[in-house]
Amino acid sequence: MKVISNLKLLLKITQEYGNAHFTLSFSAIFSLLFLLYSYNFNTQAVRPIVLVFFVVYLLTTLYVWLISKSIKRDLANHGNIHIRTRILGYPLILTVLVGNIFASSFGFSLVTKNKTPEYTFATYAFLTQLFIIGVSGFNLFKPYVIDSFLLVMGAFVLLAIIFAVMIILVSKYVTQASAPKWMLPIGLILLLPVLTGNLFSLLLGYGLIKKARQKDASSIEKWQKMWSKILRNSMAVFGMFFIIFMFSLSVISPWTFDYDFATQNNYSAILQTPTLEYPLGTDDFGRDLFSRIVFGAQISLIVGFFSTIIPAIIGGTLGAITGYYGKKTDNIIMRLLDILYAIPGILLAIAIIAAFGANTVNLIIALSVGSIPTYARTMRATVMQISNYEFVESARALGASDSTIIFKHIVPNSLAPMIVKATLTIGGAVISTSSLSFLGLGVEPHIPEWGNILKIGSTYLETHSYLAIFPGLCIMLLVLSFNFFGDGLRDAFDPKTN
Amino acid sequence: MKKLLALLFVAVLALAGCVQKKSDVEGGGNADTSTGEKPTIEILGTAAGENDLNILRDQLTKNGFEVVLNIQPDYGSFSAQKDAGNYDVALSSWTTVTGNPDYAVRGLFKTGGDYSVVSDSNLDALIDKASTLTGDEAKDAYAELEQLLVFDQAYIAPLYISKKAQGIYSAEVNPETVLLPKSRAQVWEAISFNDESLNASETLVLHQAIASLTSLDPIKGNDGSINTLNTNMYVRLVNLTDDDQVVSDGSLSYNHVIAEGNSEYYFILRDDINFAKVENGAAVDTGELVSAEDVVFSLNRAKDESSVPDHRTYSIHENIDTVEVVTDLAELENAKVAGTEETVLDALSKELPQAVTEVVESEDQVDNAAGKYQVVKITTPNPFPQVLNYLAHQSGGIVSEKQVTSINTFDVASYDPNTDVAYGDQATVTEGSSYNNHLYASGPYILVQKNDYEATFVKNPAYRIGTEYEPKITNISVRFIDDNDSALSALRNGEIHVLQTVPETKLDIVKSDTNLALNEAESNAVTYLQFNTKGREVSNSADLRKAVLYSINQEEFITYYQGYKRPAVSTVTPLVDTGLKLEANRDKVTEFLNAYNEGK
Repeated sequence: MKVISNLKLLLKITQEYGNAHFTLSFSAIFSLLFLLYSYNFNTQAVRPIVLVFFVVYLLTTLYVWLISKSIKRDLANHGNIHIRTRILGYPLILTVLVGNIFASSFGFSLVTKNKTPEYTFATYAFLTQLFIIGVSGFNLFKPYVIDSFLLVMGAFVLLAIIFAVMIILVSKYVTQASAPKWMLPIGLILLLPVLTGNLFSLLLGYGLIKKARQKDASSIEKWQKMWSKILRNSMAVFGMFFIIFMFSLSVISPWTFDYDFATQNNYSAILQTPTLEYPLGTDDFGRDLFSRIVFGAQISLIVGFFSTIIPAIIGGTLGAITGYYGKKTDNIIMRLLDILYAIPGILLAIAIIAAFGANTVNLIIALSVGSIPTYARTMRATVMQISNYEFVESARALGASDSTIIFKHIVPNSLAPMIVKATLTIGGAVISTSSLSFLGLGVEPHIPEWGNILKIGSTYLETHSYLAIFPGLCIMLLVLSFNFFGDGLRDAFDPKTN
Repeated sequence: MKKLLALLFVAVLALAGCVQKKSDVEGGGNADTSTGEKPTIEILGTAAGENDLNILRDQLTKNGFEVVLNIQPDYGSFSAQKDAGNYDVALSSWTTVTGNPDYAVRGLFKTGGDYSVVSDSNLDALIDKASTLTGDEAKDAYAELEQLLVFDQAYIAPLYISKKAQGIYSAEVNPETVLLPKSRAQVWEAISFNDESLNASETLVLHQAIASLTSLDPIKGNDGSINTLNTNMYVRLVNLTDDDQVVSDGSLSYNHVIAEGNSEYYFILRDDINFAKVENGAAVDTGELVSAEDVVFSLNRAKDESSVPDHRTYSIHENIDTVEVVTDLAELENAKVAGTEETVLDALSKELPQAVTEVVESEDQVDNAAGKYQVVKITTPNPFPQVLNYLAHQSGGIVSEKQVTSINTFDVASYDPNTDVAYGDQATVTEGSSYNNHLYASGPYILVQKNDYEATFVKNPAYRIGTEYEPKITNISVRFIDDNDSALSALRNGEIHVLQTVPETKLDIVKSDTNLALNEAESNAVTYLQFNTKGREVSNSADLRKAVLYSINQEEFITYYQGYKRPAVSTVTPLVDTGLKLEANRDKVTEFLNAYNEGK
């Protein structure tokens, strides 16, 4: 192995060092925010709990700073990170207890040298589960919990323990290229928690199965390469974490959250500021904002997902057909799509909603129709390029039918740009959903949806700003997460960066 | 390790025991005990009433109804849906701008009324009966009416009475001079700046949502676009105080009297108001007195449906029988005031500048200083004391006989809006080529011109000069801002000086702003549910209507609006407190729902 002697270059390619800086800045920003919030400027009083958080985050920041110094020294002296420095990562893992996802994930990545994608999946599956438990746990402060709460929470704790065990097992036994045979049944079991929406578990299980079966070395290598590229990008990883966390939360919310808190008016608790019972306060009808945001994620994600996948399928099919056949077919279909393209998407959506009424299905259709042409264009360009490759020629020479060629040979090879585009536009779809609800054109006003929640918040922007800030932050974070994750995917799929 | 695990296990169990479960709390006692399937109620409303709709949905759902919301973006589509009958209940509101109870029921609930979907002969009889009465008798009659309308038949289900909240830019405008009457439109002549020396030079900026003015002829419109403007441009025989008392203060009359029998009314007119007109952008005194002849002309055209095209207010004045100038002093000496032994003349003579020596017919002879007055007598076919409220209404404004007849030369039956110009047409005051201001104002202010952004007014130079009713501020601009939130922003930075309606959600903002003053008052605006009377389940079953009625908890509405609403029983409540009260009652809901299900 070539020894890299240039320290600057070494620092640049050492993932831990970059992560340390990333963690350092985020912890510093958060401690600053906590410091600002710890003092109530209206009542001239200190908020003690927030102050404690500030101190913990500040200490974390200093600690990470020490680690980064230590990594730098190790690299300068030995060219790699010393085991003593790695051990320093263990205390960092505990910061997950104060919600510092950045520091704890950095801790996980620091403590092991053997960084397989499966290790990262296991740690994030664990972190996601802990966050879910933490967020659902707030329901304990409510007057009552839903009947299935205790059972489900017990199952979640069990899951978290399983993931913790998996972290240890994976770091010990799984390598870049293989996993022991006995991991196969474990991998299969790990597919199950996907029912709770924890997609990290699915990825972990899939990875383990792949590596344990040892059937196709090239596909394992492809898997390994793609994910290590995505996972190197810290922002993409945190984007993915937030998306999966939100998704999982919205999947499990019917079992741990009471829908009545989100929809039934409670006139004895109108416009309350955040307390333990109402972690994000209550709105003007006395509904718990926290429950509303959690349930609101369902609609935002469902509409966002479907209004991306539907045009991707329709547009993709049309694009594949036009790209493959060309000439007249191309002209007719693409000119028709151009007409659709000429109509502004959001106006078309408003018109469709106004004509057919506001509900979730219409919302999905309205948002889908407008974005068909862009997907068709993306697909068409890729297909035109791929249909000239030799393997297509050979398939044709072997007598494969057109549909076989298109859907078996060309489309699978043109999916990468579509996936990237879909991930990048899903954020836009989430915003459009919320915008339409904000304008009163989305779902019914009492149904929790982020745009609806924000709409109420906008009325109280000056007097009860938290009503607008929290749903606004959620929309922002989810869209940002999709964008960062999309960026990560694009970098991973882009042949230029290879 | 094992011990630790066991301890943990016990701890978890103990904790789990502490947690209340939903089924424990509710105890399985779901209130929905009615048999049969849940009746579906479709509520129609506008997006502006979204909060009320949500509260209703919540209350009805909790009382065992299936609720469908039909939310329309604006009033136009709401009306279309309502006309098409696509509703079980429609969220409606009504403001009694005349301040009398008859106006609050006649158009709304009488068979064939302007806005009525109800047809019930018992109700019609009660409305007619109540209108002829005053005092406690009227109160009892309206109680009987409410009992039938709300509790027995449940044609409507009341929600709440709104309050008025007015924001004033007190950094410049003296908040004590800005009145907030219950029914009457804004009183412009009273408003003054903090620094009174600015009254002559500074422009007072007021606000109105609607920029398109229906008509500046007082009888040709009765809506939010012109009510305030016409009220301040045309003086009336009587005036309404802040709490809806009919008085002669601030009106064309010195005094007014109801004669014995409650169907003859006398008004003694002042001689210190002349018509003003606009010349070269400034108001000038025409020298023409606002006289008894103008009163007779104005009220006769007000009650005559065919006096102008698009007459919008004749139904308000249909109770006027005759309007005449009294020429015989003996008539006043002989007639008695209702309920007393005082003569009409004595009652009319109170606090006059000079005792009455002569009642004259023609305006040329009028000279109050010499004791020569004009007296107008109005009669109603039936005893109807509330006619005074209608005379105080904007549509009872006095216009110039000479000017109006010289402008309205067209034939009413063959009126063509493209070629004929009617008096008060907004095109004649809109800046541009069509501008040709022909207005004659009898009130404190006159409109100079308007555009889509603002309407500018100047003070009438011949309106009660030297009295306390002389307009304080010379120039007024009415800024048209459609969106109430934008209007509030404009108020906060002093762009407008008075905002008539501050929404409940923004009251705290106005209160906390040191530049602003908040003025609160009662109002006559009632929000209620109108049941569909044709073709729906609720139309046929009074039991179903009553089940809805008793599902409504007005306290929750009031809590939601942070106390800025009051309980209502009907549209009459703000005007006559009948002592009745609607209280939510779940047992009654169940009872009526069961009765409804059995009756199916």
